Amino acid sequence: MKKLIGFELKKLFSRRLTQAAFALVLLLSFVLDFSTYQNKYAFDGAGREGTGKEAVEIDKEVVERYAGVLTNEKVQRMLADLVPKTGEDEINALYIYHNATQSAISARFADRYGSWNGSTVADVFGEEEVTIGYVDGWLSVSRDLVKILIFFSLFLMVMTAPVFCGEYGGVDQILLAARYGRTKCAGAKAVACVLAALLTTTAVLALNLAMAFAFYGGEGLDCSILFAQMTYIEGGIPFNLTCGTMLAYQTLLAFTGALGVVGITLIFSAACKNPMVALAASAVVYGLPVLLPVSETNPLFRLVGLFPTYHAQFVSLMSVEQLGGGALYALWAVPAAAVLLAGGSVLARGIFTKHQVS
Amino acid sequence: MELKTVGLTKRYGPKTAVDRLSVTLTSGVYGLLGSNGAGKTTLMRLICTVQEPTSGKIMLDGEPVREMGEEYRDLLGYLPQHFGYYPDFTALDFLLYMAAVKGLPDRAAKKRSRELLEAVGLAGESRRKVKTFSGGMKQRLGIAQAMLNDPKILILDEPTAGLDPKERVRFRNLISAFSKDRVVILSTHIVSDVEFIAEEIILMKAGRVIQFGKPQDITAEIDGFVWECGVPTSQAERYAASWNVSNLRNEENGTTVLRVIGERPPVAGAVQVQPNLEDLFLYYFGGNEG
Repeated sequence: MKKLIGFELKKLFSRRLTQAAFALVLLLSFVLDFSTYQNKYAFDGAGREGTGKEAVEIDKEVVERYAGVLTNEKVQRMLADLVPKTGEDEINALYIYHNATQSAISARFADRYGSWNGSTVADVFGEEEVTIGYVDGWLSVSRDLVKILIFFSLFLMVMTAPVFCGEYGGVDQILLAARYGRTKCAGAKAVACVLAALLTTTAVLALNLAMAFAFYGGEGLDCSILFAQMTYIEGGIPFNLTCGTMLAYQTLLAFTGALGVVGITLIFSAACKNPMVALAASAVVYGLPVLLPVSETNPLFRLVGLFPTYHAQFVSLMSVEQLGGGALYALWAVPAAAVLLAGGSVLARGIFTKHQVS
Repeated sequence: MELKTVGLTKRYGPKTAVDRLSVTLTSGVYGLLGSNGAGKTTLMRLICTVQEPTSGKIMLDGEPVREMGEEYRDLLGYLPQHFGYYPDFTALDFLLYMAAVKGLPDRAAKKRSRELLEAVGLAGESRRKVKTFSGGMKQRLGIAQAMLNDPKILILDEPTAGLDPKERVRFRNLISAFSKDRVVILSTHIVSDVEFIAEEIILMKAGRVIQFGKPQDITAEIDGFVWECGVPTSQAERYAASWNVSNLRNEENGTTVLRVIGERPPVAGAVQVQPNLEDLFLYYFGGNEG
């Protein structure tokens, strides 16, 4: 069996289209992460401004002055130090961006003139203890990862689609007439796909996280995602997680999403006559949950949100509910992926075993 | 060993590809002949269990092969008509993969793969990718994979397609050496390939067996129906179009010798000759391409 799995892995990775698609995913990761980093802007309010590396340094220096648990006293200090004041006929102060900390404090505690809007920490965050620090870099990494993982899901479909139906054109006759063609061979294909998915997911995550550490360092991983600049407030995860926890969930969901995609694609690979049709069908099923008229507030979303699409686009799934002990509903993605993978593998194997050559 | 088909039938919608076929095969080489659409490939696929019969069954030593499952497939070696491969695998990789699918242990797989590559004349190409192979080389690789597990039942569908004469001779010698105590069924349109090595011939038409026996016995059926006659070369083509001609040979003296199949002499002076397998094929299939 190990030998068969080895050969199936070789088949998976020797296809030019698979190699090209994976290279594209890695290239996209690099380009997206690098351009996000390069496009960072920060102004410390005292004459120093910059982009890219300079912006990250400025943002870190600014937030360092207020690092730690957010208190009402800190809010007043930040409003005084960071938020520009505007007059009646001037631009709304909330539209002015200097740096990530200024944007975060303005969005929650300032009015259009840049003055305090009367909200306290408890008004905005309830009983949560919010630890502030440099989270902007990691939040942008997370946002980029969403795009990359959706594209990566397409790569997984490209890789998996030919696993069974790629044999339907000559080799299936030899395989199905061989001793283990209908048994171990079919099983080896499914196992190889799982291993390949895990390997490539690890590679993609490793590249992105390595670049993130290189660009932004390790600061902020233990700080709350709630105190983030304005662009991350609307449609963000509403729970008081640290950046590290959020990324840990996103990593877990990257793997569960990958395995779910493999499970779905295996079925179409076995059922369809050629890899392009299998790929198209898998892509449709993958995209379907997003097209359904099921909003995040709909109870049905608890089920729809467990499909692989929402593992990649993880914010919605992460926002469903916080369970006991601080764990999130998103953990249900693990058994959901297991069901999709096991069901897909068993179905695919059954279809392949009963396949009649033509 | 006895491989038996009992009332074997395969239908594709309104078309019957194999029609209530009952044959018993024991050890030896069987040549399966028939025109396009006769049902040869379908029969081979049914025997290899890569297609399900519509009705009827196949038995090996009295046991239905469907129930034997892996045990039966372990005895099989199959080269399909359109041989599929993995372009980026080397020849050796491909054989090792097939050996793994056939359940050979690692060491035996390596040894057997190298032996077979040597036997089919590909020993020097073992590290080349299959996509760089010519058609004949791919076919030889296909023959090698069919023999990997030392099968007791070897099914070869058009095994000599794409092989040059030297390779066809090598193939014939390989099969002849291999066929002791095994059932070997090979289908081909090249009648001379089976004429030399097949111990028995199965002639199929419209899904049925119309002849089954030793070549010399079945060709005896058309004794007296095969003629040779000379015609002017300028008219040879016209005559060839009107008669069932199995061979046409131009002589230096401006005549062409035609070998004609028919119940009556085609022209005055035509000479009766000993029929061969090709004559029998054309007798049944009327000179249409086989």
